[in-house]
Order: sequence, then C-alpha cells, then structure tokens
Amino acid sequence: MNMNLFKRAWWRLRGHLGKTVMLVGLFFVICTLVLSGFLIQSAAARAADSAKNSVGVVATMQLDLNALINAGKMDKPKGQQGGMIGAEGDLHRSLVDKICKSSVVAQCNYTKDGVAAPTDQVKLHQPVPAPAGQDSGGVDFFKADGIRDLNSVKDFRNGDSKLVSGSGIKPDSASDMVVIEERVARDNHLKVGDKIKLNANIQNPDGRLSTKETDFTVGGIYKSGTADPGSYIPPMSAPSNQIYVTPDGATRLDGKKVGADGGVLKEATFTLRNPNDLDRLKKDAKAAGADLKIFPLSVNDKQYKTLVGPINKTADFASLTVWLVAVAGTVILALVIASNMRERRKELGILLSLGEKKPKLLGQHLVEVVVCAVLAIGFAAAGSQFLSQAIGDQLLSGQVSSANDAAADEGNKPDPSDPTGGANKQDAPDVEPIDSMDVRLGAGDIAKVGATGLGIAALATIVPGIRILRLNPRDILTKGE
Amino acid sequence: MTSPSSSPSSTPILELADLSRVYQSGSSRRTVLKDVNYSFEGGRMYSVIGPSGSGKTTLLSLASGLDSPTRGSVRFRSEDVAEMGLGRYRNRHVATVFQSLNLLTYMTAVQNITSAMEITGVKGVHKKQRAVELLGLLGVDEADQHRKTLELSGGQQQRVAIARALACEVDILFADEPTGSLDQDTADGIIEVFRKLAHDDGKCVILVTHSREVADASDEVVRLKRGKLMTI
Repeated sequence: MNMNLFKRAWWRLRGHLGKTVMLVGLFFVICTLVLSGFLIQSAAARAADSAKNSVGVVATMQLDLNALINAGKMDKPKGQQGGMIGAEGDLHRSLVDKICKSSVVAQCNYTKDGVAAPTDQVKLHQPVPAPAGQDSGGVDFFKADGIRDLNSVKDFRNGDSKLVSGSGIKPDSASDMVVIEERVARDNHLKVGDKIKLNANIQNPDGRLSTKETDFTVGGIYKSGTADPGSYIPPMSAPSNQIYVTPDGATRLDGKKVGADGGVLKEATFTLRNPNDLDRLKKDAKAAGADLKIFPLSVNDKQYKTLVGPINKTADFASLTVWLVAVAGTVILALVIASNMRERRKELGILLSLGEKKPKLLGQHLVEVVVCAVLAIGFAAAGSQFLSQAIGDQLLSGQVSSANDAAADEGNKPDPSDPTGGANKQDAPDVEPIDSMDVRLGAGDIAKVGATGLGIAALATIVPGIRILRLNPRDILTKGE
Repeated sequence: MTSPSSSPSSTPILELADLSRVYQSGSSRRTVLKDVNYSFEGGRMYSVIGPSGSGKTTLLSLASGLDSPTRGSVRFRSEDVAEMGLGRYRNRHVATVFQSLNLLTYMTAVQNITSAMEITGVKGVHKKQRAVELLGLLGVDEADQHRKTLELSGGQQQRVAIARALACEVDILFADEPTGSLDQDTADGIIEVFRKLAHDDGKCVILVTHSREVADASDEVVRLKRGKLMTI
C-alpha cells in the first residue's frame, strides 16, 4: 500500500502546527462535551438500576371510594344520613395475608388506623398544655396504628424513628404487643415487658361512644426523631403519642373481637421482587378473592421516581447536549475544513498534476482530521471524568432542588383514598433524590466517544471534500498566470 | 502539421491531433488553439516559443494532461490519453515544471521530491538518496535540501521543481520557463541537464520559453502563433 498520503498528512500536520493545534482544540471541546454527556448518561443508568434494586417496586392495595360508589356497593342511606362505606369497602386482613403469600411478593405490609384513649396508668405526653378555655376538640387520644411489621413503617425505614429497647412488631408478634415512644414511657415510668391498659373506643348501637380497658404488653420503646413542638398541638398530632400495635390490637381498640377475617385494614403494600411482576400479582390477588375494581393494585413507584427523577432529568439534558454538540460540531468542523480546502486548492492541484488520485487526496484530509480527533479523544478521556463529575453534580443539584420543591407541594395534596380528605401519607418510606453522580470512565464510553468523534471527523471531511472530486488541476495551477 | 524533423521510421511519443481549445465565458467564446497537429519524438528537446497570450500554457496543459481539449486528441504512443485517463497519463508518463513552480510549501526540498516519486510509483531506487543526488546535481546545497521550500530563494525553488520533475523518471518532461528565475550559469547547467535527459536517456523534453538561449539549445523550435503551431 502506498503510504505516501499518511506521510504527507503527517508532514502537513507538523508543517502547519498552529492549524493542527486549533483543530485538536476544537475537537477536544466537542469530544469533551460529548464524552461528558455519555458519562452522565451512564452514571444515571447505573443509579437507576441501583435505585430499582434498593427500593424495589411497591404495589399498594387500598379502597377506591369512587369505584365503590360507582359499583353501588355503599350502604344505603338511613334517613337523612349520607351513605356509609359499609362492609363492601372493608379490606380484610385474611385476604391480604393470602396475597402476601404470592411468590412474586418480596415484602408485605399493611396498616390499620386506630386510636387509643389514655388511662390512669398510661397518660398522653403533653409538653405544652392546652391554653385555658381551649377545647382539645375530642382528640385526646394516642394514635394507634395497627401494623404487620414495624421495620416497614415509613418513619422506621427512613431512620426518623429508632427502637431504643425491646423489639419491633413482626408478623408473628403477640397480638397484645404495643410499641410506645420513649417520652410516653418516661412520663408513665414504663419499660419493656410492662403490662398496660389502654382504653378502646366503642361505638354503641345508639351512637354513643364509650370506652373499654384493653390489655397490652409493652414490647418495645422507640425514639421519634421529631422533637416536642414549642406550642400547643392536639395530643393525637404529637409525634410522642404515636403508638404501634398489631392489627389484632388495633381491632380490639376498635372495640371489636378479632374474627376469622383478621380485621379490616386501611391499606396493604406489596414490595415486588421484579417490577415486571405486577400482572402476576394481580392474577394472584384475583385468585385470592380480591375485587380489584374496588381494591385496585397500583404500582407505587413514587420512591423510585423520587430517587432517580433528578438524575434522569440530568441525563436527558446530557443526551440533548450530546446531540446538539455532535451536530453543531460537525457543522463547525465541516466549515473549518471547507475553509482549509479552499486555502489548499493549490496544494491539491500540485498533487493532482503529479497524478495523485482524488480519493487519496480526500484520504489525506481524512487522516489529518482523524489524527486530530484521536489526539482530542485522548485528551478528552483524560479530562472528562473530572469535568463531567463537576458538570453532572452542578446540573443534578439544580434538579434535586426542583424535585424537593415539587415533593413538598405533592405532600400537601389530599389523599384520594381518604374520605375525610386527609393529607397524603402513604406507607412508603420517604427517600431523598440521588444527589451525587458516580461518574466512571470505562472502555465502552471511550469507544462511544471515539466512534462519535471519528464519525464527526468523517462527515466533516467527506461532505466538503466532495469539492475535491470536482477539481481540475489546470484551473488551479494556471490561475493568475 | 507534423514535425518536419520526424523521419518516417521514427515513432512519435506524443501526437497532437486536430487539437483545439475554446474557452467559453458566458456568451463570449475565445479560441486559443485551433486544429493543432504536431508529433514529438523521444530523444529530442523541443522549445515552444510565441508571444504572450499565444496559448503556450494552454498547449502545455493539454499536452501534459492537465486539461482536456475542446476538440481533437492528445496521443501518447498512439493511445488517446483521454481514454487512458488523464490522471494515469500524468502519473506514469509525464512530469511538468510549472512557471509558478508549484512546490508543496509544508515539505522540505527532499520531501517534495520523494513524495512525487512515491505518487508516480518510481521503483528500484532509494528515493531519499536519489532526491539528494538530483538536488546536488542542480546546485542545491545540503542545508537547503532539508529546508522547507518556502524558506528557499526563487532560484533554489526552481531547482527543486526541476529536480522533482527529473526524479519521476517519466517519458516526457514539460517545463514552462524553466530557467526564468536562474542566473545564466545555473540556467546553462540546467539546459545541459535537459539536453542530456533527451539525448542520453531518450526522453522527450518540451520547454515553453521566451529565452533565446534555451531555444538555441533545443533540437527543434516550434512557434505558436494565432492558435497554430509552426516549425521554425
């Protein structure tokens, strides 16, 4: 093979060092931006995979009030009273326990809302008493959530609350187990193993409310991460007055007996082993007897989206940048090379007069541009990790900030499943968006930017290089003579 | 018209047959060459003379395969160069020393020559050594041989351009005012090189010149006037 074109390319690159450096510099900027884009995309993809593994995909089953109304399964109105949800709207624990056994469920939890009235033995923690003359509004209760697994409760999963003694509620815990907050334990001189009495609220057939002492055993004491408020708040809203009981315990606090159905739940969550298993879970739920129109299973990928939302937006921006830079780079380089070719008309004419083939002239140009591209790719590979880390972190911090603002707004929206229009407080742990990028430069990234860089070089050379094929050496060499 | 010096037995290496070249610019037509017929033989040195604008450069462009005629043909060893391919013809069979020299400025003198030898496919010689020999023969000293041609004087550049043409070992050598930038002694030396190339190596050397000395040293002088070629 005649290597002359390579030699000529090398001699020209050395002979016009200023132009060579300029071309390398231009390529360096293009390749660095493109490579940074690729690295940010890869980091985002890794983060998304990791997030998927860490949070899993949670399917939530809860009453769809609208579906119940539309299905005409509400209790009929009595007199002037509105309709009641009734038995058709009850999500029974026995049903959920069956669904929990599905092979696609990695983790299962459910909650049952409830309250417990204080007794002489167990009083509410009230750091700031109610102002004189202000009624508590009928909320002088402990908030008693019936749960299957304490570790799956939002505050415990995200670390806001921690057990300080004893153990948490588990699926196999004794039905009378209660976990209390340390401030309540301290005020009432309680410790793990103590037998306590809490008052269940009983709705009598005539509509009157009465209380009934119910026995519990303190199985664990936890510490809430939320400090006492500086001013009066209703006791039931104070974090210290949050207690946890088993679902059976919550049923007893409703003044009911624990039946074969295990009581009625507010909602159940199923963490799937694989995000693609939702259809299988629905099938298993139907088989267990669930009416999925009234108790739909919806995938709660809020955590996943919260985690990866900002980083994915950053990756989208990086992707756009890659395209814009690649296209703009090709155009700019093509213009630079076209301008170079105009300057090099005489050189091309001389080589043509010697009988050099036109494709080889184009080849020489290509070799020159490719050499510049390869050098630039090398420099970009050396500098891109640092640069893309800096750019990525900067872009990501902006996206995280926006996501946090959006999340704050979202948290204030009412819970669609709550007929009282309460705030949205799904039993899913709060997660913070991924706020740092793990940028790693791999051979694959270099190969991608190499292919892009060389593609740009080829396009930017060949398109204006078509002019070479139309050159006539006589016109070039004798012009002006 | 044929060369009167051509004997019936000698085979012309280059023939111009009914060669015409018309330049058209918009609606205006300018006929530079009209029905030129001439035969050139190997082993002889020719001078083409004529007043400025008579078409000497156009004739050289057509004969050396840099341009195509409007009508007629250029034949190398009886083969139409248009059919052979102008690129191939230029590459294998002819070399040209241009009036404007046309050296590659980013290369040294030696690189200009070795590069041309590689393009034209010269084989069997050590290219760099051959380039150095030719440059030495034409009076380019060793230091200048390795300088970029842009750093050389006009006379030195002319020597490099001639050395490049000589190095290509072609059958026909064209030169447009090859001694224009040279002092008399160097010009005489170069004319001698051309003569030897024709007489000793059997090449056909065709020079376009205004120089009486060059014309006198040639075996045959042809004059271009009003688009016609005539032997003097």
